[in-house]
Amino acid sequence: MFKIPVRVRFPFPVQREIVTLALLTGLAVVLLIGVTALSRVFHAQQDALAQRWSGRGEADLKANRFDAAVSDFRASLRYGEDSFSSQLGLAEALIGLKRSGEASAYLVNLWAAKPENGIVNRELARIAAANGDMPGALRYYHNAIYAIWPGNAEADRRNTRWELIKYLLSIKALAQAQSELIALSAEIGPDVSQQVSLGQYFLKVQDDTHALAAFRLALSVEPHLHTAMAGAGTAAFGLGDYSLAQHYLRVAAAQQSWDRESASLLDVVDQVMRLDPFRRQISDADRYRAVEGVFATAGKKLQACPAVAASPIVPGAAQNLGDAWKQLQPQVNTRVLRRDQDVANRALDLSFNVERQAGSLCGSGSASDAAVLLISRLHEGS
Amino acid sequence: MGGGPNIEIVEDGQRESISAAGHPHLQALRTVFREERFFLILSVFIGVFSGLAVVCFRFAIEWCRIYLLGSGTQLSTSRLFLAPTIAGLVIAVLAIHFFPLARGSGVNQTKAALYIFNGYIPFRTAIGKFITSALAIGAGFSLGPEDPSLQIGACIASAIGQRMRLSRDRMRLIAPVGAAAGLAAAFNAPISAVLFVIEEVIGRWTAGILGSVVLSAISSVVVMRWFLGSESLFRIPPVELKRPSELIAYAILGIVGGLASVLFGAGITYFRPKFKGMAPWTQYLQPAVAGLLIGLIGYLGAPQVMGAGYEYMDEAIHGHFTWQFLAILAGLKILATLLSFVSGTPGGMFAPTLFIGAMLGAAVGGAEHAILPHFAFSPGTYALVGMGVLFAGFLRAPMTSVFMVLEVSGNYSIIVPVILANTFAYVISRALQPIPIFDALTRQDGLELPSMEEQREENILRVEDAMQPPTGPVIDGNETAGGAAQVFERTPKDVVLVRLQSLGWSNISRDEVTTLIKEGKGGERIGSILENRQVPALHPDHPLDMSLRYVDRWQVVPVVNRANLRELVGVITQRDVLERYRDFGGE
Repeated sequence: MFKIPVRVRFPFPVQREIVTLALLTGLAVVLLIGVTALSRVFHAQQDALAQRWSGRGEADLKANRFDAAVSDFRASLRYGEDSFSSQLGLAEALIGLKRSGEASAYLVNLWAAKPENGIVNRELARIAAANGDMPGALRYYHNAIYAIWPGNAEADRRNTRWELIKYLLSIKALAQAQSELIALSAEIGPDVSQQVSLGQYFLKVQDDTHALAAFRLALSVEPHLHTAMAGAGTAAFGLGDYSLAQHYLRVAAAQQSWDRESASLLDVVDQVMRLDPFRRQISDADRYRAVEGVFATAGKKLQACPAVAASPIVPGAAQNLGDAWKQLQPQVNTRVLRRDQDVANRALDLSFNVERQAGSLCGSGSASDAAVLLISRLHEGS
Repeated sequence: MGGGPNIEIVEDGQRESISAAGHPHLQALRTVFREERFFLILSVFIGVFSGLAVVCFRFAIEWCRIYLLGSGTQLSTSRLFLAPTIAGLVIAVLAIHFFPLARGSGVNQTKAALYIFNGYIPFRTAIGKFITSALAIGAGFSLGPEDPSLQIGACIASAIGQRMRLSRDRMRLIAPVGAAAGLAAAFNAPISAVLFVIEEVIGRWTAGILGSVVLSAISSVVVMRWFLGSESLFRIPPVELKRPSELIAYAILGIVGGLASVLFGAGITYFRPKFKGMAPWTQYLQPAVAGLLIGLIGYLGAPQVMGAGYEYMDEAIHGHFTWQFLAILAGLKILATLLSFVSGTPGGMFAPTLFIGAMLGAAVGGAEHAILPHFAFSPGTYALVGMGVLFAGFLRAPMTSVFMVLEVSGNYSIIVPVILANTFAYVISRALQPIPIFDALTRQDGLELPSMEEQREENILRVEDAMQPPTGPVIDGNETAGGAAQVFERTPKDVVLVRLQSLGWSNISRDEVTTLIKEGKGGERIGSILENRQVPALHPDHPLDMSLRYVDRWQVVPVVNRANLRELVGVITQRDVLERYRDFGGE
């Protein structure tokens, strides 16, 4: 049967080498265990130091002590050089110190590691915007808008889009800002303050239709909200819907007596409503009164602004506006107007001409002047 | 006994002997344990042990720094002055009384072990190096952990070799194997470590040693990464060469780096013997005074120069300093390293060299950008290239310098600027300082180790330098002995080459032909007669030394074309060789 070997003795030198290798292996195992224990102690200490310094950095960053924060985060990174939050904190502190070049280097590194991170993309966008790198800023802002955010991602994305819109407005990129606002309007929902802000930004990009819609949405939730009311009035005014504008502005001016802007806009609207001879569903008498009113407003403007009175009717013509007004003035009354429609047209053309030239020569005038100008623009070519 | 080793199997008091000659497992064991293969296995163990030692060394340095200088980046005034001064005193006592061989960087000691002490390095040196270097670097001396790691690795390898009673040849080679392991673990860069050891310590590429060096380097890096992670030394931002004209800027960096290398090297070689030559009692104070002055530099606003400074290199790479401050840091680091090294404090030169290079590179890049704004400026790129420049100019390891930069950056698009700048720095440094720093230090210590640079640059004689044009006749192998006799009638030469049919060559003398004729073999083909007496052929590019193997045995040795072995391009004789050597000695 089988004999079980109890002791195997290899001949020299193989035996010595095997024994030595076995000893070396054993020693290696023992040392590995020892160094592993040592390593745990070391890494635990390093982690604790990294956390301690990172915590101090966060506190300093919140308190806007950027110098101290930079020092703290650097100490933290010494013990945990891969710490994303410390690197980000350091970059933010450096941005706080206006050392965007240094911050950028860290952020680019972070971006390479996590290109989907919203905060990194937003910070890079801010740096690119500050450096006048518009394509870079747009790219990083858009990355940030569609990126991954910790915590309330929706709010962060929305805020980033707001930031992008403000940046676009600052560089007068109104069309791009408008498209971002339209995209934002789909995300906001019935939040009143957000809708009001949205409406105000739509007003800035001269998109009165969307602005009015936003304010109306806000008013549907809070019917007496003054800012929404005033904004809706302004938007309706911009759209040329003066009766609607009058409604909103009247309420807004009544709500807040200090709201001079709404009040002055309401003045203009009232004058437009009074002076516009092209309004629908008004009697002939009202229409003739409106023509007389427009003509009288132009007359006052000629008196207040002699430079306009001396201006020729058309470039190179012998007759000036003052003389033309004086010549036409006897005919502008209800009796003649009823008989001769052409007088009404000539009186309106002359008045619009006077107000347009006065606008460039003597600046803005009264609410009536502004109203006449608006009427002229509203019905230009009609 | 004739059959090979035996195995004794003992059971229940019975003993039986089995011949191992035919046992397949034992045959396999014997093959495995042939010395060269066993050496490879040992290399892995050397790598593991060196890796573990380097990991512990890194822990020790970090703990020393935390407890001596504090954990933050803002150092308190008292620590700035007291830590390096007191540490300097302790280090001096340890180095003078307990570990005298721990002084210096460690590279030369490893070379000395290879060339003078047959691979023997006392293990005590490793302990001393570990303690004193960790204390020095942790306390803020401007020294690095790489060269000590190299020496610790070499010491471990030597200890294992002694324990294994390796042959003298293997013992000589074992220290560099450990050195590569130590350096690879310290740098987290196995390729650079292997290259450095081959380039600077061993000085030659041989298959036997290369395998062991690579194995030990890789195993040590694996161990190191297991404990400390696989991140490279620096976090490199994306770097690229945008326009070829930027190469001019890198060439300027190479020139500035070359000059800085010369300044740094000249400072060390000038001051080191002066400090060593001072009264013996001053040796106790030199590291302390050096530490105090380094603390003063830190107090005056440049604490970045204290310690190895890797974190500050990282900051320079990320553009955290103005170019003016970077230039100041480079200058102060040279001063701090000079103070640290010439005072006899144990520690390495690699990290300070990289620090100076990084600062200088980023400073030169920044200055160039300030003067010529259209040059694209990336501080990371310039800092990296600067590191390579100082490595090539100061340590005079051109190959290692290129691969080191590539390995720590992981970006191969930087290779062109690195090669260009390193070449400039290397050439300038060689021209202004003919003796490399490690060789100069060795000679100051009274040792005459082979200079690897001199070996690389050595002009070797080749066969083409001594061969003569093939003016004599050549007999074809198909010729008969009678025909050969006619050839000899037309030439005064006593020996003529024979071109054999089978691509080979032989030769025949006048006397041999005469004898053949007398023996009635005049009709036989010369080729068949000389078939078993082939003369080895040389090629023009062979080293002339190689011809010495043949010229004493063969009167005329053919030199043939490598592309056509039947085409004779020259002949060489013993006299030609000796005359060329005599002339070369005169040159």
